[in-house]
Amino acid sequence: MSRLQRAGWAAASIAVGIAMIGIWQFIAWHKLVSPVFLPGPDQTWAALVDGFENGMLGEQTLETVERMIYGWVLASLLGTGLGALIGSSRRARELIAPTLEFIRPLPSSAMIPVGIAFFGLTKSMVVGVVAFGSIWPMLLATIHGFSAVEPRLIEVGRVLKLSRLQMAFKIAFPNAMPDIFAAMRLGLITALILSVVGEILAFQGGLGSHILEASRAYRSPDLFAGVIVLGMIGLTSNLVLSFLEARFLRWRRP
Amino acid sequence: MDRSTSNADDALIAFRNVSLSLGGRPILENINLKVRRREFICVVGPSGCGKTTLLRLIAGLVHPDAGEVIYDGQVVGEPASDVALIFQDYSKALLPWRTASGNVSLALEASGTPKPERAQRIRALLDKVGLAHHADKYPAQLSGGMQQRLQIARCLAQGPSVLLMDEPFGALDAMTRQVLQDEVLRIAESGHTSVFFVTHDLEEAIYLGDRVVALRPNPGRVAEIFDVRLPRPRDQLSTREDPEFMRLRRVLFDFIQETES
Repeated sequence: MSRLQRAGWAAASIAVGIAMIGIWQFIAWHKLVSPVFLPGPDQTWAALVDGFENGMLGEQTLETVERMIYGWVLASLLGTGLGALIGSSRRARELIAPTLEFIRPLPSSAMIPVGIAFFGLTKSMVVGVVAFGSIWPMLLATIHGFSAVEPRLIEVGRVLKLSRLQMAFKIAFPNAMPDIFAAMRLGLITALILSVVGEILAFQGGLGSHILEASRAYRSPDLFAGVIVLGMIGLTSNLVLSFLEARFLRWRRP
Repeated sequence: MDRSTSNADDALIAFRNVSLSLGGRPILENINLKVRRREFICVVGPSGCGKTTLLRLIAGLVHPDAGEVIYDGQVVGEPASDVALIFQDYSKALLPWRTASGNVSLALEASGTPKPERAQRIRALLDKVGLAHHADKYPAQLSGGMQQRLQIARCLAQGPSVLLMDEPFGALDAMTRQVLQDEVLRIAESGHTSVFFVTHDLEEAIYLGDRVVALRPNPGRVAEIFDVRLPRPRDQLSTREDPEFMRLRRVLFDFIQETES
């Protein structure tokens, strides 16, 4: 694609976004859906500005982002660490894989009540649930990346007499990097979802509580403002990760 | 042992009655073969004759069912750090996430070379194989010939006494192959390195080798060993026009035809 074509497509995609907002505004103006449920973009914008000006929305956003990041970082560290251990040994894989396959498909929001039972209605409970729910992509990707090393590279390592640790850090881990990065993106979205669900279920502040309160009080502009902030968090974090991925995996696109 | 290692004519590598089966299929049967110090030995034979397995035995990647492989007076167990192995599939044998210098560095890291010394050694090695200007490129950015040069540089970083080469130029075009043949000859000569070179290209074997070992297949056995009495340094034109070259080519060609029929 030429540069001009790419610019054209980018402009078109922005036009699509603007058109959607236009349709939304049109529906709101003509009250095709009751304003109690659907505020217009103008009211939503006003609620956003108001929320950030009085500081409440900003604070709640920070709470949610913090929870998401703590949970996600915890999941990434544990996931890659455990994945490396399990992936390096075929015996460990054979022993543990069936159990993982049983735990993995459990809906992680179903773990929130379990989390509440163990940790109570606390902030660390939410972080724990976020970590538990978003660890799976990282864990499975690392296991796969560590166990699917090109056999020729393992022989290169043997001929060069690399130690087990060198083998893991110099060959297996970089080999798993593309898988891990893809999984970290998936995991981040899961972490965001679970932070909000956790906040709603456990009433621990953050955007989840903001949305819940707004919806109970029929303040639909506030509700929509919260949803839009969530969308922005998702978008921003994905952009940051894409940027990091492009830097770390430079070798993949010659 | 000390006396024999100081003797330049003594065998550096020796196969003694080596037999090997893989997955119940006999691959090699009763192999006896010696490689002298600083010798360039080429191994040819039809596919399935166990050429590559011979080389993997010296590398310590596989072990014989019977008999023993001796390297430098010791029975081969684990891979030895001064035995370098150059694989045919260079694109799989390089780390795609490391640059050219990073790939050479792997061998230095493995041998515990202190970090400050590495940069200079890497530069010298890349220079030696003509990749000085490509140090920061990733393997995927290099041509096939350059990738194979890079693999050779990594192997030279081991400071090897023996280069084991497994059809290293089989996937390269004719011009690149000739250039690399001459470079390997030069490297082996200047580094006093023994080379065990597996190929299916008869002319390549004669051009490079001091001796050519011809194998017979199913299971692999040593059929005949030919001495190559061609003057060194070899030259792509005059060596290949030498009557002795052509005679050997004929003999080997007839031999291979006979074993394959």
